[in-house]
Amino acid sequence: MSEMANMDPEGIDAVRMTWNVWPRTKVEASKCVIPLAASIAPIRPHTDIPMLPYAPLRCKTCSAVLNAFARVDFMAKIWICPFCYQRNHFPPHYAMISETNLPGELYPQYTTVQYALQSFPDPNNSNAPQLPPVFVFVLDTCMIEEELEFVKSAMKQAIGLLPEHALVGFVSFGTQVQVHELGFSDMSKVYVFRGSKEISREQVLEHLGLGSAGRRPTVGYPKVLHNGYANTGVNRFLLPASDCEYTLDTLLDELQTDQWPVQAGHRASRCTGVALSVSAGLLAACLPGTGARIIALVGGPCTEGPGTIVSKDLSEPVRSHKDLDKDAAPYFKKAVKFYDSLAKQLVSQGHVLDLFASALDQVGVAEMKVAVERTGGLVVLAESFGHSVFKDSFKRVFEDGEHSLGLCFNGMLEINCSKDIKIQGVIGPCTSLEKKGPNVADTVIGEGNTTAWKMCGLNKSTSLTVLFDLSSTERSNVPGAANSQFYLQFLTSYQDPEGKTMLRVTTVTRQWVDSTVSSEELLRGFDQETAAVVMARITSLKMETEEGFDATRWLDRNLIRLCSKFGDYRKDDPSSFTLNPCFSLFPQFMFNLRRSQFVQVFNNSPDETAYFRMLLNRENITNAAVMIQPSLISYSFNSLPQPALLDVASISADRILLLDSYFSIVVFHGMTIAQWRNMGYQNQPEHQAFAELLQAPQADAQMIIQERFPVPRLVVCDQHGSQARFLLAKLNPSATYNNSSDIAAGSDIIFTDDVSLQVFFEHLQRLAVQS
Amino acid sequence: MAAPVPPGAPRPGANARQQSPHPNFNPNFQTNPNSLADNMQNMNLNRPHSMPNSGPRPSPFGQPPPFPQSSVTAGFPVASPPMSRPGPPPGMVGRPAVIPAGPLQSTLPANVPPGRPVGLPVSHPLPFGSRPPPASLSSSTGGAVLPSSAFPSSGVSSASAAPPPPARAPAQAPTMRSVLGSSAVSSPQTPPLPSASSPFPAMTQARPPPPGSPYGPQTWSMQPQQGTQPPHIPGSTHAQPPRMFGMPQQALPNQAMTNIPPALGQPGAPMSGSSKIDPNQIPRPIPNATPIVYETRHGNSANPPPPATSDYIVRDTGNCSPRYMRCTINQIPCTGDLLTTSAMQLALLVQPMALPHPSEDPIQVVDFGESGPVRCSRCKGYINPFMKFIDQGRKFICNLCGFTDDTPRDYHCNLGPDGRRRDADERPELCRGTVEFVASKEYMVRDPMPAVYFFLIDVSMNAVQTGATAAACSAINQVISDLPEGTRTQVGIATFDSTIHFYNLKRALQQPLMLIVPDIQDVYTPLETDVIVQLSECRQHLELLLENIPTMFQTSTTAESCFGAAIKAAFLAMKSIGGKLLVFQSVLPSVGIGALSSREAEGRTNISASEKEAHKLLQPADKILKTMAIEFAEYQVCVDVFVTTQTYVDIASISVIPRTTGGQVYYYYPFSAVSDPAKLYNDLRWNITRPQGFEAVMRVRCSQGIQVQDYSGNFCKRIPTDVDLAGIDCDKCILVTLKHDDKLQDGSECGFQCALLYTTVYGQRRIRVTNLSLPCTNMLSNLFRSADLDTQFTCFLKQAAIEIPTCPLLQVRDHVTNLCINILLSYRKFCATVSSTGQLILPEALKLLPLYTLALIKSRGLRNDGRIDDRSFWFNYVSSLSTPLAIPLVYPRMFAIHNVDTKDGDESVLPPTIPLSSEHVCDDGIYLLENGEDALIYFGSSVDSSILQQLFGFTSVDEVPTQFVMQQFSNPLSKNFNDVVNVIRQQRCSYLRFALCKKGDPSGMAFLSCMVEDKNANGPSYVEFLVHIHRQIQMKMS
Repeated sequence: MSEMANMDPEGIDAVRMTWNVWPRTKVEASKCVIPLAASIAPIRPHTDIPMLPYAPLRCKTCSAVLNAFARVDFMAKIWICPFCYQRNHFPPHYAMISETNLPGELYPQYTTVQYALQSFPDPNNSNAPQLPPVFVFVLDTCMIEEELEFVKSAMKQAIGLLPEHALVGFVSFGTQVQVHELGFSDMSKVYVFRGSKEISREQVLEHLGLGSAGRRPTVGYPKVLHNGYANTGVNRFLLPASDCEYTLDTLLDELQTDQWPVQAGHRASRCTGVALSVSAGLLAACLPGTGARIIALVGGPCTEGPGTIVSKDLSEPVRSHKDLDKDAAPYFKKAVKFYDSLAKQLVSQGHVLDLFASALDQVGVAEMKVAVERTGGLVVLAESFGHSVFKDSFKRVFEDGEHSLGLCFNGMLEINCSKDIKIQGVIGPCTSLEKKGPNVADTVIGEGNTTAWKMCGLNKSTSLTVLFDLSSTERSNVPGAANSQFYLQFLTSYQDPEGKTMLRVTTVTRQWVDSTVSSEELLRGFDQETAAVVMARITSLKMETEEGFDATRWLDRNLIRLCSKFGDYRKDDPSSFTLNPCFSLFPQFMFNLRRSQFVQVFNNSPDETAYFRMLLNRENITNAAVMIQPSLISYSFNSLPQPALLDVASISADRILLLDSYFSIVVFHGMTIAQWRNMGYQNQPEHQAFAELLQAPQADAQMIIQERFPVPRLVVCDQHGSQARFLLAKLNPSATYNNSSDIAAGSDIIFTDDVSLQVFFEHLQRLAVQS
Repeated sequence: MAAPVPPGAPRPGANARQQSPHPNFNPNFQTNPNSLADNMQNMNLNRPHSMPNSGPRPSPFGQPPPFPQSSVTAGFPVASPPMSRPGPPPGMVGRPAVIPAGPLQSTLPANVPPGRPVGLPVSHPLPFGSRPPPASLSSSTGGAVLPSSAFPSSGVSSASAAPPPPARAPAQAPTMRSVLGSSAVSSPQTPPLPSASSPFPAMTQARPPPPGSPYGPQTWSMQPQQGTQPPHIPGSTHAQPPRMFGMPQQALPNQAMTNIPPALGQPGAPMSGSSKIDPNQIPRPIPNATPIVYETRHGNSANPPPPATSDYIVRDTGNCSPRYMRCTINQIPCTGDLLTTSAMQLALLVQPMALPHPSEDPIQVVDFGESGPVRCSRCKGYINPFMKFIDQGRKFICNLCGFTDDTPRDYHCNLGPDGRRRDADERPELCRGTVEFVASKEYMVRDPMPAVYFFLIDVSMNAVQTGATAAACSAINQVISDLPEGTRTQVGIATFDSTIHFYNLKRALQQPLMLIVPDIQDVYTPLETDVIVQLSECRQHLELLLENIPTMFQTSTTAESCFGAAIKAAFLAMKSIGGKLLVFQSVLPSVGIGALSSREAEGRTNISASEKEAHKLLQPADKILKTMAIEFAEYQVCVDVFVTTQTYVDIASISVIPRTTGGQVYYYYPFSAVSDPAKLYNDLRWNITRPQGFEAVMRVRCSQGIQVQDYSGNFCKRIPTDVDLAGIDCDKCILVTLKHDDKLQDGSECGFQCALLYTTVYGQRRIRVTNLSLPCTNMLSNLFRSADLDTQFTCFLKQAAIEIPTCPLLQVRDHVTNLCINILLSYRKFCATVSSTGQLILPEALKLLPLYTLALIKSRGLRNDGRIDDRSFWFNYVSSLSTPLAIPLVYPRMFAIHNVDTKDGDESVLPPTIPLSSEHVCDDGIYLLENGEDALIYFGSSVDSSILQQLFGFTSVDEVPTQFVMQQFSNPLSKNFNDVVNVIRQQRCSYLRFALCKKGDPSGMAFLSCMVEDKNANGPSYVEFLVHIHRQIQMKMS
């Protein structure tokens, strides 16, 4: 908690790198074991970032943007691009430039600047942005009455929170897809699409009467809209929130669960795939460049038409990891292919798919992941639409103000880097734009083969991991060459929530180091936390893409290699082994990663795994580290809350523990505390302190919950209670039934055969020092 | 049971059985008289002040007590005679068989010099009706006859005058028949009227109920009713109604063979020929104004039915009412060769749910419980009055396949001395030609379906702007209240233009929810359940919606219409249940599944190709709609299409859907928002309220020796023996052609049984079994004598209609003409050999055949000057048309209406008909011409302006408007005119589509083209046609 609040390891640039000094050669880099990578949060807000109301200057050869690291000749009005050394003349409006009169982007502390690209709206029309954001709600109706009521009320609330000018569309689906024509005033009117048939974008447009820019005139008296869509006909379906709030409320009130009969012993027929296709098709009628999100509220698996993940027969369970492993999931590949094409369509349109899935069983997040992740959509997985995980998360999406997610649209990331640095790819919510360039590496990891990526949707906290490689052309021949610095420039253009187009430029520089000469510098430049997260992300990716990939072995081997390389030891003497403090936490991260849901997928459904991984990839390093290695805080009388070891030994009868594993937050009451609480001491004035003790972890938990999206699940449990497993599963099993004799009183044991951290270290030391 | 009780009289147990009416409840008929009346009265809705006059037909019948079976209790022990023994009559066969033709025609010329072209007096050839002698008879016997109305006919009486005991009288009728059956008798050649009167009262009193009829007394209860009918049955024609219908028909042929003098003494001088025939003397239909009571069997043999177009009341005494089923020949030729020789068609016209006369007994419903009706174990024929019980009732012989079955134990009954089961008269299935069985579980593949009505309305730009959408919505809105009551009635509604719009009418919703199905290439239903909702749950929503639809689409500029996709989508919504799909279509379906192109226009621009292949435009454009239709039929969806248009909509293609699913096409061209909504409403209302059934299967079985060759009509046939009818109603008629596969025994009877398994609108599963048993004969002359003109002609008409889309027009016309010629040739060759070759000799029964044939050749469907859609509609209309409506379609009725106020107070409401010849159309007259569907009002050029003012509210012919709405003004002329129109509407069960025609206008030309007796571009005059036929016969003879 406190560490998060106090530290800002990412600074103004929001860039964290596995290695902050890079070896000069590809060979050396590969010896470093942990790949060269940077985690960036492209539009993370920071109070120090200057806003520049003009367009950036770009280098005429490499189109890198003028930045603080450019050398400037004030006399000649020339700047030299740090990436390609091109000399560029300043344009006339920079004529005033001098050492004492620098434009914002040249201030050395402003390594990150933001440009407002669009001229500000003309004063006559200052509060009417040209392209209001579009929200298309896609609601599953195949659910029980109660769930539907929950989701309806969540939707109503959301619509109330939308900015007035935001356009809203509504699509409901079950066996079939119903596109609601909100602009039809005579009665409720819906276009119905069959759920079993794949439908192309052109067909959707034609069927909705949106083909050829409203060739088919509308029926009835559509409400007139004062925005840029009037001539496309799409205004029949997308209305400003202020205009259609009442209509939608009524409509939701009348909306029933899907009326198509469900055979006994069968799943409801649910055509999620077609519903999303149709919604995407509807959005295709919007002007290009419109920021739009499809907000899918899904209550079960797709069983009808394209995107089906399981048959309707209930006797057939939804695929498990085992099925996927054995290639025994007949629908999986087809569905993934379908959602992949959907993703392509959405990306080409620049629109976002958000997925809110609430069901006890799986709904197909694993298959839909590709569409959500490529478009930069949000994803929330909950057990019920009535659960706070969904309710509060959903509300957060639309909330304004301090806790706003800052949803932006149409992002595009470009990366410029110094010569000899190659980009292998990006892991995270984006899509490669296949923009080739000299900085593209031959090998691809994640979204690669490009120096530009599309992020249809992004928000304040969106993070990406960029993986670098070094040119195989040996430049070690010229050691000590002039430039000991290398540069990376991240350019992110996007539409902010108000519809204004922004460009964020972050330029960072790091040092080359000749690691053959000195590994000391290299060591000091190691960021263990980032390295752990990057390893986790790469592992996840490999597990998804490489067949027969043994994650544990791969992690172990790399860890051993790393320790062999950077540890201090005498050969074949495990007891002599020590690690530099810069590395000391890393083995523990690896230990926990091996035990985490990212690697031990068999404890989870493929949906959960997909969900966890999507968040792992899009969160910042700190949060991602918590996912790998939860934080544990202990509360007890007579001491301030303090971090506790993530170990079963931390459990004590008179303590309250607060575990933050990112997806869930566990408040764990020791046995004695629980007894006291059950006796109601906290209600007695003389036990005020106890009441406060009880309150403290809850308050801290609430703080975490408020910050976080998706809202984590809060578990309050007592020692030996059934819910205690949420804590125990994350703890180092230092005390198991095998060694239960030597545990402290009031502590606990874990029934597991998993190795404990200590055993893990012993083995690590032994293997690391082996010659 | 009490053995001594004479057969035929009510048995003691009969009282108990009288409860049967209750279980027999038949929703379709239960309310029949009144509901019929109600329906008819609606015809006047747009003219409220005329209401009082609206229901003449129901009123006379509606007032008397209905025919409760309870009246049976009034037993008739008096009527003890041994009448009902089987087989009394055949003795007569021994009579000398004289070919009737020879002597008869020779006698006739007595009136007219033989060979002279001067025509006979019109009256002579006429078989019945208003011909003077009967009239005079009736007037003389008038008072006495009335009470005895049921049976005796003048014909009988003359013949039976000799046999003394009144009791024998009934036996006479069969005797007569058999006489006729074998050959002509010379005696009755004179009009056999006079003597009859005296025995009447006694006869009728003594006369036992007809064999096999436990309901004999009902005949009597009829009488009071007739007594209440004076306005209807004017004194002068009193004799007519009481006459037994078959009789005159039998009697007359003997004497009256129509003898048309040849055009010329010699063949070969046609020109002058026509001038020598008196156009006033050639055969024309003369309607009879008053109803006749007709017993289907008399003395154990079939009674030939009255003409289909006449007004009659049926007593089912073993054979079915001819309304349900009638044969082209009322005797069955024993061999196929004999039939071929006659050149006539052997076919049945089956109209299983035909609307009965309000005075007729409802069809009895028989419930056999779980076991279901008794059936022949071999041919699966249903138990009927012609199954013969043997071996003390332990076995029965099937009249259809001849197999001997064991009587089910609980159905066993001993036989009486007459060989009939003792309970035969108490069991409707053993004494009635038509009964309805309650279907047991074995007849259901699922629960009987509820009544589902799905309305599908075109809301494309044209439909909205021409007012068609508004008219459809308003019509639907008005008929909602006429839908069957109860929770089983479900409705749905959808509209369509280039997309399909369904509406969720569920009560929970504050307002209807519009659900659009945009994919019109591959359609689906947008909801599983709430698209079709119980009427009781959605009435308000529905009404509101129907009010809103026209305005909601008012500004629509979508010109496209996806008819095919829309019906497919509606079908999918209905698929799980089935039901009626009522489609209101206004433009050519241009998009989506089954889209059609404007073939007519393409045909016009490419004339060279179209000349040869003109009929191709009358074929469906492709197979898509047909495939769909078959699927619809399979899922019991019956489609009716209401075409309200101003343009070509390709009815030839569209009509495939209703034809295959047992529906029909209604055609309003050019649609007028002023005059058509009323008809649209009335058509829709009749469509929904008329007696009808769902998910039906029909099969006709025949006695060994005859088999069904083919069925034609509006249905879907998946297996050769059955027709599937997603919907069947009282107006639908099916032509069943028959062929020989063996010889029949002379003197035996050939049985036909039509079984219709269906679900009533109230969800009961029923089997309606209609039986007809006809004598077999080896005599060609018998065939001609018993030929049924109306049925034969209807058969012609339907076959021509089938040919139209596949053959060049010329060929169809020639074919029709040749059919007519060949029959007359056969008659001339084999039955009238004695007469001079210079004479055109027509069999009495078929004497109108040339006239109708001529009319058919000139009809809209066989003309090539018409619009493609008009012709397509015409032959589609014909395909399900019933016999009574077939004749007027080609030979409409024309009345003068400028003098409708001059008739006597007690005459029939309808003025006399006028022959369809322009000679009879005066310049100062106003004429009404109706064919059962359309009505033309023709204004001569010099009509008296006060008459115009009284009738129409304008004073000059120049002011004749293009659109017409019936109005009643407060003057007798106008009132009578309205009465006339209403009577016609009731008779036709159709509101009629009025058009005003003015001399000298194109509209006037349209009217004159209906004058079938005139020579015009479409064909020769009547006289010329007769000459032509005569010449052809002469050529073939030589």
